[in-house]
Order: sequence, then structure tokens, then C-alpha cells
Amino acid sequence: MDPVFLAELAINGALTGLLYSLFAIGLVLIYKASSVPNLAQGGLTMVGAYVVLALARDVGMPLWLAIPIAVAIMFGLGFGIERVALRRLAGRPVVMILMITLGLDIFLRGTTLAVWGGTSRSMELGVSYEPLFLGDILVSRIHLVGAFVAVMFFAAFLLFFRTRLGIKLRAIADDYMASWSVGISVERGIGLSWGLASVVAVSAGVIWGEIQGVDQALSLLLLKGLTVAVLGGLDSILGAIVAGIILGVVENVGADFLDPLVGGGSRELIVAAVLILTIMIRPHGLFGRHDIERV
Amino acid sequence: MKLLSRAALIHAIMFGMAMSIPATVMAKPFRIGVCYDLSKAYTFATPQVAQAAKDLAELVNRKGGIGGEQVEVIVRDHGNEPQRGVECYEQLSREGVFVFDTLSTPVSLAVLPRAMEDGRVLMQSLVGRGDAVDGTVFDWVYPIGPTYWGQAANDIAYIKQLHDGDLSNVKVGFVYFDYPFGQEPIEILKTLSKKEGFELLLYPVPLPGNDQSGVWSKVRRDKPDQIVVWMLGGAHVVASKEMKRNGIPMDKYISVNWLNEVDIANIGAKNAIGIKRGTNVVGGQDIPLYKEIMAELYDKGNGNGPIEKTQDVFYNTGLAMYSIMFEAARKAVELQGLPLTPDSYRAGLESLRDFDANGLMAPITVTAQDHGGGGATRIEMWDGAAWVPQTDWISEYSDQVWAVVKESSSKFGK
Repeated sequence: MDPVFLAELAINGALTGLLYSLFAIGLVLIYKASSVPNLAQGGLTMVGAYVVLALARDVGMPLWLAIPIAVAIMFGLGFGIERVALRRLAGRPVVMILMITLGLDIFLRGTTLAVWGGTSRSMELGVSYEPLFLGDILVSRIHLVGAFVAVMFFAAFLLFFRTRLGIKLRAIADDYMASWSVGISVERGIGLSWGLASVVAVSAGVIWGEIQGVDQALSLLLLKGLTVAVLGGLDSILGAIVAGIILGVVENVGADFLDPLVGGGSRELIVAAVLILTIMIRPHGLFGRHDIERV
Repeated sequence: MKLLSRAALIHAIMFGMAMSIPATVMAKPFRIGVCYDLSKAYTFATPQVAQAAKDLAELVNRKGGIGGEQVEVIVRDHGNEPQRGVECYEQLSREGVFVFDTLSTPVSLAVLPRAMEDGRVLMQSLVGRGDAVDGTVFDWVYPIGPTYWGQAANDIAYIKQLHDGDLSNVKVGFVYFDYPFGQEPIEILKTLSKKEGFELLLYPVPLPGNDQSGVWSKVRRDKPDQIVVWMLGGAHVVASKEMKRNGIPMDKYISVNWLNEVDIANIGAKNAIGIKRGTNVVGGQDIPLYKEIMAELYDKGNGNGPIEKTQDVFYNTGLAMYSIMFEAARKAVELQGLPLTPDSYRAGLESLRDFDANGLMAPITVTAQDHGGGGATRIEMWDGAAWVPQTDWISEYSDQVWAVVKESSSKFGK
């Protein structure tokens, strides 16, 4: 294969992978605090994009204003979900909490369909789609912007987890019983993690909404986001970033080799293989804590 | 005995009353079972099509109905679930409905064997089994409009026109959703590639089509002369952005019929200049039937939905589909009188000759052998404000298309 083309596939794969990371960070935040993979993260991402569009198109706000307001609304929604739906499940088996996040995802998809219909809407961030060549390699501007946002979120959360509030969240993630016993409000901490995950969902929704349009298909990002989170280690934000890059490169380059051999469709196979192999070989992922193991 | 004679008396009175009611009052409406996916995969098109069906039914009724009978479209949601589609069919069938439209491939596939067995007419324009155009096998199924095989063949005929009738040094890219809808045209494209000598390049896109960066990088490097695209909705938007990013001119893009004004708006009216689509209906609003509906219904505040939904090619598609269904009923009454029956309705369908709903769509001629109506389409190009026809209505490579149809239909039921 032409090395320039291979490099192009790898670079664009890495950028796409960082967009998966952006989504996966939301999953990691909730897992860190409550040890539950949030199956509604796709739904939250979709709702985040719809809220931005509702403010921008239906209310008439400029996007620069609509996005922060949507962030505030979604933070409240995330916090509210924990308060209304999840807090009463405290102490129940994890599978019950998992099921409620699945139900929540279905509910969010149904609600957006009822409110905004199934027609795709465009985000129109104003990012140029003119060709951008770095040497001989063509790079996507919107993917570059998305990757930058993902890295910024990574840096912001690194700093956040060093603040007093962040340390409380880490304590909850380490041992919520001990946290309780020293007076940390575990409920509020988990609520905060849902709120922050919803904020991340807005950014992922805006970037992915710009790339693919805003419709119910945004919620399908869950599969790749979950794969990235599992590969990186469900409780590691650094893991989400590294795993996103790995999955994006493997998927983009691998599909180019495999598609001609199997007649297409190999991307999904690669993602599925990564997810299955990670769980079989290294359940705690690349950077996850070793206590995330198979039962 | 006393009870029996009282019951007999009541029956006699009711029978007498019934006999004395004029035929127009007794007449039952002609009803079509519209079992649609209004909540899942097909919602990019079903609201517009269902609205068109209701609007047209209302217009027909305001003009006196068909043979004096009112028409009614009964819209139900099946959520693209075959079992719910079958339930919709069964329930309405028991209520006496004998014409059905599902606008969903999985539901159409599930309903088809029952409709064939029950002797109910299944309309399945643009969805379902393409080989059902073979009326000698699928006697109760009418996929009026182009099959995907026919559409793809007409696209190749258009590309041949662009290249002065010689495709021998031409590369044709085919970008498609990597599942049955997108894969369906591949066989006919391979057949035509052998016949015409063009190089066919295949580019599968995984669902839901949100990541196409690798595909369009390959397209850029392969440099196909024209690109035929079999995708839907948001995937067109992603593709158009990737094309721009890769510096590929938009006028190489020839879409399957499922590309509408919403997609154009999402791509951006200016960015979409040059994009083409194959279609069996006229785009835009400069259509006599559309104008009549506006004047009779929407201008008087009696439309069956938001007016924005009518400014979409899928609304025109709905008008075309239901114009055919109502015209067939009219023909059936003309041929065999009232009441309409499944057999008389079928005769009505098979008597349609060069019917184009007053310039709304490609002329169709339905026969007992060809239930597709001829499969004509034309290529339109977006010029920034409107769709401009690039060809007449064409139906090319019929022999090759029918060979594929016959090969497939011969396997039905085996």
C-alpha cells in the first residue's frame, strides 16, 4: 500500500478516534463515580445536540450562546437523572442500574422523535470543508476541531481531579463507604458526575452533529464509545484518549485492508473484535484499575 | 316462538329499510390500509408520504369521490417491525380493507406471502422485493415505480450519455450502505460493467454512515468519473462534506431517489449545487396536482399537516403513489362497476396506460406481466434553488434488468 495513503488513513483514523474518546469520557466519568457503564450516554449525546439546535434554531440564539446554555441545561438534566431515577436504586444490584440506563436511552430516543421528529437537522458550526492538505496528507478540519476539544476536555478533567471537589469524586470512586464515613456526600458526587457527563455529551453531540447531522442515529455512537471506554479502562480518562486513538487507527487502516477481502462491513467487525478481545484478555483495559475483572 | 317472530319482524323491518336507502348513502368508502413506520427507520419519508395520501384522499372526496364512493386512507404505525406490520394488515383485512401499502422493506417482505394467499393487493413502491415487478409470479403485488435495479441501470444510461455513448474508459464508483438496500444494485452494475466495459469501483459504507472519511479518501485516489450513491438521509450530508473536503466535484454525485430537500438544506443549498438524483417523480412545486391541493386545502386551512412537509420531494412521491392507487380504483369502477373488489381493483391497476398524474411523475403502464409500470426515472440536478432535469424519463437496459428480475422471481416459493 502507498505509505502516504496509509499515513492519511492512520491520521484521520486517530482524529476520528479522538472523537470517540470525547464520547467515551462521559462514560468514564459516570463509571468512576458509580461503577456503572451508562448505556444512556448515546441518548444524552443526542439530546445535547437537539437542545443546542432547539436554542439556536427554534429560539433563535446564536450558536456561541446556545452551546453554553445547553451545557447548563444538560448539566441540570444529568444531575436530575441521578436525583430522580438512580438515587432510589442505591444498594440494588448493578444490573438494575444498568437496565435503568438502558431504559433511559430508549426513553430519550423516543422523546426526541416525538418532539423533533425523525428528520435529520444540521448543526452548521461554520467549520470550512475546503480541502486541507498537510504535505500530501488530506486532513479533516472538523475532525481536527473535535480532536482538539477532546484533548481540552482531557486536560480540564486532569486539573479538575486535582481540585478539592475532584478529590472528593476520586474518593467516592475509590471507596464510597469510606467516603460516606468521612462525611463526603456520595449522592451529590454521583450527581455531579452525571452532570459532568452530560456536559461532555453536549460537546460530543455538537461535534458529531456537525459531522453526521442531528438525528436519533447519534445515540448509536454508544457502541464505539463503549468499546473505547472498555479498551482504555472504564475508569481512566487517559485510557479513553489513548484507546480512542488506537481504535480509530485500527478501524480505519484495518478496514482498508479487510474490506476488499470480505466484501465490506469490516469496520463493525473490527470494533466488535476489539471489544470482545479486550474483555477476554484484559478486562480492566489498558489503564483501568485491576479490580475491574471478570466475575 | 313469540321471541322468534319478534326477531324475524325486526329483521324484516331492517332489511326493508336497507333496501329503501339510496345506493349513495349505502356506499362504503374505498379504503386503503396505510401501515407505515411512523416512529423508526423510515421517518425521514413516511410523514410526507402519509400527509400526501391524506391530502389527495380529501381532494378526491371533495370532488365527489370515486364512482360516488368516498375514499379513505387508514394510517397506522408499525414502527418498521414485521410483526406489527402483519398485525396492521390482519386487523384491517378483517375490517374489509383489500389494498395495502407498507413503505417498509421488512414489513413488506413479511406481509407479501399473506397478501398473496389472501388475495389482497399489496402496493410496495420503492421498497420490498424488486423481483415483485414480475406479475406472472407475484400476482397480488404491485411495486409500481422503479426497482433499484432499474434505477441503477438508468443511472448508467445517463453516465453513458455524458460520455458520448462510450463507457470503455470510464470509471464508475458505487458508494453504498453495506446492507441489503445498498447492495441490491451491485449485480446489475456488474452485469452492465461487463456489457459496456466500464470499470466498477465498490465503496461500502457501514451503517449508519456517520464515518465515511476512509471511503472518500479512497474515492479521491481512485478518481472515478462518476459516483453512483445508494444511501439515505444524513449519510448524504456526511458524504457531501467528505467530497468537499477531498476536493471531489459535487456534480459527480448521482444519488438513489432517497435524497430530499431536507438533505439539501442540511448540506447547504449552495454547497449542494451540482448534486444529482435519479427520480421517478418531478421535484419542486410547479406541478398542477400540487397547486390544486394548495388551492383547495392549504389555502383554506384544511391541509393534513404542516405546509413545510409538502415542499419535499417525498411529498410528491406520496402524491404519485396515491394518484396511481386512486386512478386504479377509478379505472376499476369504469371497467367493472361498483362495488370495488380485489379482483376489479387489480384489473384497474393493470389497465393503467401511460399514466403520469398530469405531469407529476414518469408515465407508467401496468400490465399483468409488468407490475412495475415500466420503471422509468430521470436524472435531476440541484442548481442552488431548484431541481433541473438532465434527461427525459428513461428506462434503459430492460433486457438486463428483466433477466435479473426473472432470475430472482423464479426462486420465489422454492
